[in-house]
Amino acid sequence: MNIALKCDKITMKFGGLTAVNEFSAEIREHMIFGLIGPNGAGKTTAFNVITGNLKPTSGDVNFFGKSIVGLKPYKIVSMGMARTFQNIRLFSNLTVLENILTGFHHKLQYNIVDTVLRTPRYYKHEKEMRNTARELLKSVGLLDKADLKASGLPYGERREVEIARALATGPKLLLLDEPAAGMNPQETLNLMYFIQEVKESFNLTVFLIEHDMKFVMNLCETIAVLDHGVKIAEGNPEEIQKNPDVIRAYLGDIDA
Amino acid sequence: MDLTTILQQLVNGISLGSLYGLVAIGYTMVYGVIRLINFAHGDIMMVGMYFAVTGIVAMFLPWWAAFLLSMVATALLGVLVDRLAYKPLRNASRISALITAIGVSFFLENLFLVVFGGVPKAFPVPSVFGGVINVNGVIFPNIAIITPIIAIAFLLILLFILHKTKYGMAMRALSFDMETVRIMGVNVDMIISIVFAIGSFLAAVGGIFWAMRYPAINPLIGIMPGLKAFAAAVLGGIGSVMGAAVGGFVIGLSEILIVALFPPLAGYKDAFAFLFLIFVLLFKPTGIMGEDLERGRF
Amino acid sequence: MNKKTILTVLSVVLLFLFLWYGDGHLSTYAMRIWEEVGIFLMLAASYNLINGVTGQFSLEPNGFVAIGAYVTAILILTPAQKEAMFIITPMVPWLQNLHMSFFPALIIGGLVTAFVGFLLGFPVFRVRGDYLAIVTLGFGLTIRVVSNNTVPITNGALGLKGLPTYTTIWWCWGWAVFAMIVIMRMVNSEFGRAMKAVRDDEDAAIAMGINTFWIKMTAFITAAFFEGVGGGLLASLITIISPTMFTFFLTFELLIIIVVGGLGSMTGTALATIVVIWGSEILRVVEQPMDIFGLHIPGIPGMRMVVFSVLLILIMIFAREGIMGQKEFSWDSLFNFFKKNKVAQK
Ligand SMILES: Nc1ncnc2c1ncn2[C@@H]1O[C@H](COP(=O)(O)OP(=O)(O)O)[C@@H](O)[C@H]1O
Ligand SMILES: [Mg+2]
Repeated sequence: MNIALKCDKITMKFGGLTAVNEFSAEIREHMIFGLIGPNGAGKTTAFNVITGNLKPTSGDVNFFGKSIVGLKPYKIVSMGMARTFQNIRLFSNLTVLENILTGFHHKLQYNIVDTVLRTPRYYKHEKEMRNTARELLKSVGLLDKADLKASGLPYGERREVEIARALATGPKLLLLDEPAAGMNPQETLNLMYFIQEVKESFNLTVFLIEHDMKFVMNLCETIAVLDHGVKIAEGNPEEIQKNPDVIRAYLGDIDA
Repeated sequence: MDLTTILQQLVNGISLGSLYGLVAIGYTMVYGVIRLINFAHGDIMMVGMYFAVTGIVAMFLPWWAAFLLSMVATALLGVLVDRLAYKPLRNASRISALITAIGVSFFLENLFLVVFGGVPKAFPVPSVFGGVINVNGVIFPNIAIITPIIAIAFLLILLFILHKTKYGMAMRALSFDMETVRIMGVNVDMIISIVFAIGSFLAAVGGIFWAMRYPAINPLIGIMPGLKAFAAAVLGGIGSVMGAAVGGFVIGLSEILIVALFPPLAGYKDAFAFLFLIFVLLFKPTGIMGEDLERGRF
Repeated sequence: MNKKTILTVLSVVLLFLFLWYGDGHLSTYAMRIWEEVGIFLMLAASYNLINGVTGQFSLEPNGFVAIGAYVTAILILTPAQKEAMFIITPMVPWLQNLHMSFFPALIIGGLVTAFVGFLLGFPVFRVRGDYLAIVTLGFGLTIRVVSNNTVPITNGALGLKGLPTYTTIWWCWGWAVFAMIVIMRMVNSEFGRAMKAVRDDEDAAIAMGINTFWIKMTAFITAAFFEGVGGGLLASLITIISPTMFTFFLTFELLIIIVVGGLGSMTGTALATIVVIWGSEILRVVEQPMDIFGLHIPGIPGMRMVVFSVLLILIMIFAREGIMGQKEFSWDSLFNFFKKNKVAQK
């Protein structure tokens, strides 16, 4: 099996605060890897380092064998890594379809001159992109929402659109930051199936952060636990559930 | 250039810089708590000058009473502007608030143009500030010596308020995370009002001393110092009060010294601050003392 | 061509027919205002591209228009005119001898301004925050300082006089329509979607693989180009330019136009340009002395600006969407509107 993502002792300091402390992990291709930990443990910060939004204080990130530390985030996207955000961040004034279309931006095949002159190339690729976007929406069951404004959708669907938008960038690795946050049990269950399906049909590797224990335990093959920026455990769901360190870190923090 | 001139220019630069610093503090504090560039800040300073003149000339107050009245009235004006124009837009997009700020700036300038006309008015300089002082044979204008002393005094008071009082801590906390502070039961709107009051009060102080330096005022007089003070705030690291003060000194000193050393550049002196701003953005966008307030908050 | 394209072409033809009719029948004053409307439409659409569509608050127009005006003016004045005008310090020789016809002069004015846009945008867009507004505001003031002092190029405070009057209603509206087509095509493409994405959520746009720096640059440089051309048109319309001519009021008027029309809506901008420019003419009344019922009210100079600024603040607080919000006029929505009305009548 290939290693999709390898974090090698990444450390991220904000002034005096060490948000992530020598975090290492290996994520094999086609697996669903979970990262859990109490609030403020440094999970999102770890994501921001991996996606290039933050430059780590030290350590290395390897993406399919290439070091990506120091690359611009949009460059990393074009290498095949996509993410969603903890608090859903759609382009609220664009339609669902337009939101998806932005995901094709990095492989845009016409230029500004084609745009202004409306050349055949412009029409050809614009049409292609729209068709692909519709297909994508269809495959995730959101086609009927294509022309609605993104801000008008219910919460659960907004999350699905956000994931679909990330898929549009053509990722090999998908990072999801607390995808089930703020969802009711039914929505959470739907989302679980959704992620599973998407993973299979798009042949993805998934790296997700989640607070909801049941969600992670059911979905992930391997789980790492972060506490105060330090990885305190890694293993399969059963191992994690039994680990005394994890139980201590989570005491009073388990709501599931 | 002989030593005497250099000394005089140095004092002059520090004096000018302390004025920029006083005005810059208002920009930086407001930006810190509500992430708004208050374009009207330079004009609020201008209003402070007119308040002071009105106190002396029309209300026949002694100068110290007129100055005090002006500072308090200007502080109230700052609060009023925030309450009427900015507060309704707290949850709107950032661009709405910025546009409104430009609107307020243009409003104050043109209202005062209509009321007082565009012709510069003489500013009555009280005799305490008017004379010169002779230090070992080197002559300095009184005002050049007094200005930095006053400015540093106010800076110390402000730093005390920020670090040692409940309100000051709330202000600093606000610049990190407004929601959490709100949840903790702090009256956020009141804290924001206090920030506007402090900023505008110091703008009035800066304005009055500015007016005594070049004893004539007009309704557009706040624009240039306002812009330079903003450059000072960015140079110091926007959000940092100490940074604003230091940035002010740096900009004021360099303006005076560049002109003193290269007289042919005198005509361009108002362009220096702009170049400073560009260079800071290019090479040290977080400023001398600032942290990156614009970091992504995911 | 489909039905809607034909309708659009037809309305543009209608517009030009109106202008052609006006050229012969309306007063010189009215036609002058319509010329201004054309130029301002181009300026406002450009301004809306960076502010409304891309969401980057900017105050560049007066500075950029000034650059375009100076460049074009220097290029269309004859060497003899320039020699006669530069009485304090003679003009730099190679500029003195540079002379060309109107169209290339406008293009060069636009290109030089676009380059200045590039130089300003570069430091600003690399960092986050609202620095664009203050940098462009400072630029507008600085360009005045510079044009006052670079006497061998700009003739300093004396300014440039006696520019040939090339600008006609056709130049103004030809450029206006051209700018509208270019800008609207840009907005309705992946570039426009990316601009709106940057406006709605910059972090998410980055996460979509959008190079937000270049997207903002594209919008800003495009706007700069058309503002430079607009400056050239204004220069030849007014025939004199000086350092103090392109004040912040110009920027402010454009800001009002795009806010009234709706930030991000180009058709709204078109509508608002007509409303605001003509409204501004009508508002001149408050600055003139009048007699109402035997009561003499002296004119209040500058009152227009006060009214404008109050208006802007009120719109921002109470009617932020303007006329069109972010929507665009479309033939479909017009048809739907009439259909609904018919249904309602039944
Ligand atoms: N950009 C930043 N600047 C300063 N501190 C930050 C920044 N981002 C996160 N932090 C701090 O780092 C710690 C970890 O935060 P985060 O990664 O969001 O935790 P989690 O996602 O696990 O809840 C927190 O204390 C947070 O306040
Ligand atoms: Mg998090």
